[in-house]
Amino acid sequence: MSDLQKKWAKAKFNAMEFNELDEDRENADGSSGGGGGGGGSFMPDDDDSSSASSMSSTGTVIPSPARALFARPRGFPGGRSLDPIPWTTYFERELFLPSPTSPGTTHHAYLTSPVSAGPLFVMHHGAGSSGLSFAVLSAEIRKRLPTAGILAPDARGHGSTTTTTSDKSPDLSLPTLSADLLSIILLTQKEMGWPTLPPIILVGHSLGGAVVVDLACSNTLPQPQSQSLLGYAVLDVVEGSAMDALQSMQTYLSTRPKGFVSLREGIEWHVRSRTLRNSVSARTSVPALLVEEGTGGGDKGARKWRWRTDLGATQPFWEGWFVGLSGKFLRGKGGKMLLLAGTDRLDTELTIGQMQGKYALQVFPEAGHFIHEDLPEKTAIALVDFYRRNDRSALVLPPKVSELLAQGKRV
Amino acid sequence: MSDLDNAIAQLRACRPIPEAQVRELCHKARELLIEEGNVVTVNAPVTICGDIHGQFHDLMELFRVGGDVPDTNYLFMGDFVDRGFYSLESFLLLLCLKVRYPDRMTLIRGNHESRQITTVYGFYDECLRKYGSANVWRYCCDVFDYLALGAIVLGASNTLSPNSEAGSAAREVEEDTEIEVCNADGDIMSQFSRLEGGASRLLDPVGSAMRPSATATNGIGGAADSSRNSGLGGAGAPSRTGPPGSGASGSSGGTVGNPAGAVLCVHGGLSPLIDTVDKIRLLDRKQEVPHEGAMCDLLWSDPDEIDGWGLSPRGAGFLFGADIVKVFNHRNDLSLIARAHQLVMEGFKEMFDASIVTVWSAPNYCYRCGNVAALLELSEDSSGLGILSRTNGDVNRSDGGVGGPRGVLMENDLAGLRSGPARRYRVFQAAPQDSRGMPAKKPVADYFL
Repeated sequence: MSDLQKKWAKAKFNAMEFNELDEDRENADGSSGGGGGGGGSFMPDDDDSSSASSMSSTGTVIPSPARALFARPRGFPGGRSLDPIPWTTYFERELFLPSPTSPGTTHHAYLTSPVSAGPLFVMHHGAGSSGLSFAVLSAEIRKRLPTAGILAPDARGHGSTTTTTSDKSPDLSLPTLSADLLSIILLTQKEMGWPTLPPIILVGHSLGGAVVVDLACSNTLPQPQSQSLLGYAVLDVVEGSAMDALQSMQTYLSTRPKGFVSLREGIEWHVRSRTLRNSVSARTSVPALLVEEGTGGGDKGARKWRWRTDLGATQPFWEGWFVGLSGKFLRGKGGKMLLLAGTDRLDTELTIGQMQGKYALQVFPEAGHFIHEDLPEKTAIALVDFYRRNDRSALVLPPKVSELLAQGKRV
Repeated sequence: MSDLDNAIAQLRACRPIPEAQVRELCHKARELLIEEGNVVTVNAPVTICGDIHGQFHDLMELFRVGGDVPDTNYLFMGDFVDRGFYSLESFLLLLCLKVRYPDRMTLIRGNHESRQITTVYGFYDECLRKYGSANVWRYCCDVFDYLALGAIVLGASNTLSPNSEAGSAAREVEEDTEIEVCNADGDIMSQFSRLEGGASRLLDPVGSAMRPSATATNGIGGAADSSRNSGLGGAGAPSRTGPPGSGASGSSGGTVGNPAGAVLCVHGGLSPLIDTVDKIRLLDRKQEVPHEGAMCDLLWSDPDEIDGWGLSPRGAGFLFGADIVKVFNHRNDLSLIARAHQLVMEGFKEMFDASIVTVWSAPNYCYRCGNVAALLELSEDSSGLGILSRTNGDVNRSDGGVGGPRGVLMENDLAGLRSGPARRYRVFQAAPQDSRGMPAKKPVADYFL
């Protein structure tokens, strides 16, 4: 852990001038597993309270003395702010992009443009989530890679994307979502007047992972745009374990509250139930998940904040999202990274692929399913490192033997 | 019976030894390992094994198939821990055997012998579960830092020794056999001879173990081809012949380099920063595995069907092609590189005209991958020529390093392929399921959309 942390600390201190969000992140460090900010990076190697232990998934890790110097209040956010944080804190603009293929559909996306030759991270959220799921992560990425751009769209039936049918059951099949993502990328290029697409890293969480893998694998990005795809990263979704989990999904969904009295209550529920383990992330992303219904009157205690997306109704699409995901993940071109919240989530195909060295795997046992919201810093470090490794403009490999021979060198 | 022998007996029964004893063992092991160079010299005969990954019962099966310590001289190429449920017992047993029989047991470091990796992939949690504290994990990690990075096998013979496991009918091994693949009971599944032009003979893999004369003609094409398609993984698959493992034909077309040259064993592979074996010797190895640099590459890199060097999808190390391996072997007077690190469904895989081989020793990896495992036996060269022709890393050291014609890889070196050391692969399957207590499966995550 220490090497990674040192590297990260270096990156952090180099990026000190980009901490414009610090006032909003006051308590982020405290509740993220990477806790203690800089303190963690100077821990000796043998510190057994290291945040890498999966024991800490219960959140009861006792800070070591070294860490306590920097530690902020953690745990349940008693007395702390649960106020929503607006998206403008994180993104440069929002885009409303009318779909050319399906009239009446307007895609909504959050964008921070890349600077000069910086890469564009295109991030697709999971089912029931929204583009703001990546807001805190995007800030962390830009701290470490200030030239990076972030494009985080809302999928159909999620966030502020609108469809004509505006009924409760939009078409959420994988081909549709994958085509949507492609057209959003191209529409964004047009809207922003970019002559060419910047180098792209696709990032997908859960269902979004299936979408980006499908896009990367289908080679539908037209030439020369397909050249710009450097790689793709998938957050906490694996075909085998996702299919297993589907059986219990309706049961899980039935345990969720049907609605909340206020946004604050919604945020509090996400933090208290440990669905999201970082209150700043929750304050940022939860408001987009809920929609106020029946504003006219009603008694005060009514749970008028309802889920924007009826996940139960999306059940017909579930299997289609995940079938064949592992194979496609391994088949696609470009760098591949899988971020998981536990090694036991790998299925057989990906276990073999991992041991054959076909992709990079990072595991954050202390995170929940929403890795990027629970541990935005660590996820950002992993993604930025992933980009740097796959950045073709910077890649210099040692010469080939045939080249050496051609130069008349003895080998 | 000494304490050590008691500890070995207890660990063989898959029971952990007390923390105090682990501490003492690790201390002794460190004293022993600190004396070893980064590249340990091992004399043939030797049995080379790949990844174990805490699959204790399969390690026992390995010892059954390969022979027990100290009767067999073992070289383990790292990745003892993580993923399996008995990393602790597996590693401590190997370490006990190392301390008890230092000359019959060689352990080199794999990428999983690292603090960072073990905290994520199971060894740390296992120590915590079995001892209630991380002390034992810490002792083991201190030992990891002292493990050698590679080994050089000297004096490997061009002919196989008689197959001692092959039942009652101990056959004479024919002089020209280069590769022999046996199953767990020592029955020969296939055989490849180093005839002119790489033509090979293959025994009928099923049921003919006791009929060595039953030289079948099927599969010759596949094996002869393999000098071009570099062995097992080849798409042309006529080399797949019978039970798992026998498809692993290997290439008997011969090897570039000194026929009696040494065999370099390393967990991952080569590094662009390492062009001679001596450069490995210069590394400061007593540290956590770094994220980049020569030491990292040796433990992380993979061979691949590319030209030159490539980016490793793993996120650490490099990919390297046939040209890199052949030049390295030639420059260092090696006949073969043996490495582990990659799961091979057939247990072993020879690549690049048999200049490099991957050996994988964890059958049914993670208790679900369905692969077989293998170990590689190199026999002793009774003529002694193998040792004499060894120049210990540098070509032409005897002529002051100026380098005569032999210091340069000539075009005709590639044409006139010569044979590497004779290799016997023993392929084995996972130990029976009922012999292990499987910890309960973790519940699946409840939210996954």
